[in-house]
Amino acid sequence: MDPTPLYLEPRLDEPLASLVESAEFLHTLTDALGSPLNILLPDQAAANVERFRAVFRRHSLSGEICLAHKATRSSAVVRRLAATGAGIDVASLGELQHALGAGFTGDRIVATGPKDPDFLWLAARTGAVVHLDGLAELDLLAELVRKHGLPRTRVLPRLSGFASAGVRVRSRRSRFGVPAAGLDRLIDALDRHRDAVDPIGTAYHLDTTSLDEKALAFEGCLVALDALRRRGFAPRAVDIGGGFGTGYLADAAQWERYTTELRRAVLGERQPLTWGGHGYGLRAEGGTLRGALGLYPAHRPLSGPDYLDRLLARTAPGLGRGLGALLLDSLGDLRIAPGRALLDQCGLTLAAVAEVRREDSGDTVVRLAAKADDIGLEDHGVLVDPVVVPRAPAADPAPAAVYLTGSLCLESDLITRRLVHLPRLPRPGDLLAFANTAGYCMDFGATRAQGRPGARKVAVHRDAGRWQWCLDDRYWPIGRTGGTPA
Amino acid sequence: MRYDSITDAIGDTPLVRIAPEVHGLRNIDLYAKLEMLNPFGSVKDRAAWNMARPRIADAQARGATVVELSSGNTAKALAVIAGMHGLRFKSVTNRMRVPEIKDLLLLLGAEIEELPGQTECLDPGLADDPLTAVHRELTAMGDAHLHTDQYFNERNTEAHAAGTGPEIIADLDGRAPDWFVACVGTAGSSTGVARVLRAHDPGVRVVGLVAGKSDFIPGIRDIDEVREVGLFDPAAYDAIDAVSTDDAVEGMVTLMRRCGILAGPTGGAAYTGAVRRLRAVDDTLTERATAVFIVCDRGESYLGYVRRHRPELFGRAAADPNTVASVSAAEAESAAALDPAAAREWIARRRPTVVDLRSPFAFRALHIEGSINIVDEVFGELVRGGLPFGRRQPVLLACPVGEQSARYAALLARMGHEEVYSLAGGIIGWRDAGAPLVAD
Ligand SMILES: Cc1ncc(COP(=O)(O)O)c(C=O)c1O
Ligand SMILES: Cc1ncc(COP(=O)(O)O)c(C=O)c1O
Repeated sequence: MDPTPLYLEPRLDEPLASLVESAEFLHTLTDALGSPLNILLPDQAAANVERFRAVFRRHSLSGEICLAHKATRSSAVVRRLAATGAGIDVASLGELQHALGAGFTGDRIVATGPKDPDFLWLAARTGAVVHLDGLAELDLLAELVRKHGLPRTRVLPRLSGFASAGVRVRSRRSRFGVPAAGLDRLIDALDRHRDAVDPIGTAYHLDTTSLDEKALAFEGCLVALDALRRRGFAPRAVDIGGGFGTGYLADAAQWERYTTELRRAVLGERQPLTWGGHGYGLRAEGGTLRGALGLYPAHRPLSGPDYLDRLLARTAPGLGRGLGALLLDSLGDLRIAPGRALLDQCGLTLAAVAEVRREDSGDTVVRLAAKADDIGLEDHGVLVDPVVVPRAPAADPAPAAVYLTGSLCLESDLITRRLVHLPRLPRPGDLLAFANTAGYCMDFGATRAQGRPGARKVAVHRDAGRWQWCLDDRYWPIGRTGGTPA
Repeated sequence: MRYDSITDAIGDTPLVRIAPEVHGLRNIDLYAKLEMLNPFGSVKDRAAWNMARPRIADAQARGATVVELSSGNTAKALAVIAGMHGLRFKSVTNRMRVPEIKDLLLLLGAEIEELPGQTECLDPGLADDPLTAVHRELTAMGDAHLHTDQYFNERNTEAHAAGTGPEIIADLDGRAPDWFVACVGTAGSSTGVARVLRAHDPGVRVVGLVAGKSDFIPGIRDIDEVREVGLFDPAAYDAIDAVSTDDAVEGMVTLMRRCGILAGPTGGAAYTGAVRRLRAVDDTLTERATAVFIVCDRGESYLGYVRRHRPELFGRAAADPNTVASVSAAEAESAAALDPAAAREWIARRRPTVVDLRSPFAFRALHIEGSINIVDEVFGELVRGGLPFGRRQPVLLACPVGEQSARYAALLARMGHEEVYSLAGGIIGWRDAGAPLVAD
């Protein structure tokens, strides 16, 4: 084993940090409810809304902060946010029904993504804002509104493919949205359907970490807003979607070191760091690295509300003034729909250690009472160490490097392909706590493969220093976490 | 010196000694190889010309576009070379973060394409590094391009093995230096020079400098990024050290202010990196030794970069009492303000000058009838330089929400303007009160 352990310690803020320390509480929960177990902190999601709101205030902007529902299936989180001023972005009929059932009224809901007629009908019926993904969707929506006598529906055309002057800024092709170059045709269509739809603004969502691309899109939306105004509409909002990101790791130096060592391992300059020499997308060709590192940038110097702040302060490439100032000048509202960033520090996934085996090869393999798809970090390219939550204090814990496997009867059921360095070797009965899984990494891709039950979800909150809990679907935001009223 | 073509002026750059009182090394003579004095401004002129030269006639015959992945200096040299030969030049990059260089390239006639940033959600379909992706794209373009391929093209290294390296030996009276220090971008210059120096004297120690992983130094790569470079061979270096943005700027300032060498950031980084290495061995030496580092390009293109890291180097603007920043929150709070209803009445009665402080873009779309548009930044300049109205002129200031206008109203009141109001709640409040707005 390499002498220096390559830790990737999770960033743990309060109260998640205290929760991870609460070994007895966590063991009680998994003893009762089984492994794996997902734990959510709904109050933290509400606190995150406030942090985004503070950025709005700093730029004197008003508007909506919507949770991108797709990032979580938790009822507790959605219900908790229904009790704040936040809105919600739903991307399917099921999510829309869930949001309505959690207490969101239609005026605080925005429907995004590809839409079937039933999804469109319920959205229009309940007064939700509808993102328009294309002209066909606009025609379909207008027809539904007229045919079924639905109220005039507020829409936000989603634009893509923004052109830049001088330097061509390439963006990855998006499957969604109307090309900005086709704006005139779009406005013609909105004009034809003026009786059925009311464009309240323009929208983009770009799957990129690049501020330059986003600045270009933001400016494109402002220009489109102006074009709508000239044609006699009264648009007010620019919806910039999500993608503000989250920092998963506590320490930049650990991430820098790990990624350098991974490259060295791929080039054969050190012992492998992964199961079967997996390169996470990198490969060596004649001593040179090829391929792209297929990992989420787990340590991010700029993410979440700070990322939004920076974007708003950024100068529009063509109009030459800060984007936030331009939006405000244009009397516009800002709408955002973060998923991952709103769920930062909002949950963790627990898995019990089922077996610890030392193989002939010298590797230590820790099998968990969970499947790889229960712990979605790896699937989303997030590399971060779990925290060992011991059942009993160990006399002298020894550091260890282990492979983590799931309990499916399947070779590929690896929780992560990475050799994980831990400050203490886990023992059967210990728990591993995977922190910060609430956004995308909890139940996004969980299956019932081989007849194994899915993880249960519980919501917790801290009350006078004591942790209270209830099942996720029994949570309502009325001042107690399940159980009997205080 | 007379030349038929500017490309003949590439190379033969000076080797200049750094005064010992600047670097403080007692036993080492430190020299700077001034690649910044190449005609297009950098070390990359040699590589660009050497890579392009043999293929230009053919490219002209085919009407090909010259294509390179470059963040600056190679693009600059290739843009000029392409232009001189009637060819188009396109630079594809995800690393160009220096606006002045972007503008210069556009002025030189280059086309620039920026590659997209990393995806926020993991997309396993995106399997290629930018270099490979561009290779694939160019193959699909067929013959319509001349790809100089600086990260893999051996002619890049060769330009320095044939030019830069032998020049250093010649200027040191036929001896190789004991140390050679250079920043690594494509690795062409460091590898090419190192090859020649080692062949001459196997004892030479070669230090490659890369950027720290959280530092951005325009023109060079970090320790991970160099691994994607085909010309990079770790065995070419005795050591690879990381340098920081601070090192780069600090070195630039020393070279500029004390040595008269107007170096760019990598020249500064090479100086700082060299001195740091050499200081560690200086005391152990028993004989005089020599060291050479490369100054790759000039500093003028990096003013914005330096200003971002070290604003104090540019001094502070002379304190002006009348700036909007000098207005306290309490002063702004107590500025005279009119709500929309009162403002409408006052406008009708007093016919004040209504100044809208928002951007022209937003003003064109919607504004108060009869108002004039002076965007806040310009208004701030006018406050200092001279306003286009007198102190007795009634004025209503309007901004989006009434915050900026209150600060300016307070400032003008302080400056003796008698009848200046801020529109409370701004244009948004005005709109929400149902007051009329007009478009151009
Ligand atoms: C339209 C839209 N809005 C918001 C989001 C949320 O993105 P994130 O979780 O990265 O903030 C997505 C994610 O795919 C999206 O497609
Ligand atoms: C400013 C600057 N410094 C240093 C270098 C590094 O030179 P090389 O590519 O030969 O490694 C470059 C090259 O791109 C550069 O532009």
